[in-house]
Amino acid sequence: MAKKDKGDEEFRPTGTIAVLTIFVITLIAIWATIYMILVGRGGTL
Amino acid sequence: MHIDSYERNWMIFSIVMLILFATAVSVAAFGMGIQVPAPEQRVDPKTVATDPNSPWSNPGLREVEPGKYDAYILARAVPSWEYLPKEMTVPAGSRVSFYVTSADVQHGFKIQDTNANFQVVPGQVSKLTITFDKPGTYNFICTEYCGSGHGVMYGSIIVTP
Repeated sequence: MAKKDKGDEEFRPTGTIAVLTIFVITLIAIWATIYMILVGRGGTL
Repeated sequence: MHIDSYERNWMIFSIVMLILFATAVSVAAFGMGIQVPAPEQRVDPKTVATDPNSPWSNPGLREVEPGKYDAYILARAVPSWEYLPKEMTVPAGSRVSFYVTSADVQHGFKIQDTNANFQVVPGQVSKLTITFDKPGTYNFICTEYCGSGHGVMYGSIIVTP
């Protein structure tokens, strides 16, 4: 757990940052994968 | 108004991501022609399958010019859940425009391994154009629950070399 003993100004939510980083990387990876499949299947007009 | 730096950075990042995603989708839609269909025309669902002047009274593939086809497909649940025709054959490289409508309830139409995926609404014709470059069998299925026969409602497009 993040330490708060040095005051709120120096508090760094390292756990939250780690979880959000994993979330963002996963989001971008999945989104990009599906987007490439979409583009690879060609147009519809 | 004070905004915490972490919150501000997260908001900026989120907005940037949204802009990037929207840009990517716009490029696919307007630059590459990957779009969902708008209603092509209106038809009377009560007569679309029986009117001699209706293409869907004799559904099937029509060659417009070499390498280009119009496929008129009728989806129905009565008397049996099916697409008419259930099977079509085209050579590789063919550009096929699908005109699909329903004679009764709402159906779906999705051609596997392509971007053709749309609703089939009675009274309305949905149109999409797909170019089949690779030989093989492309199955199409119903993607909108339409009754007890929904699961067996499918067809195939056979692309020959």
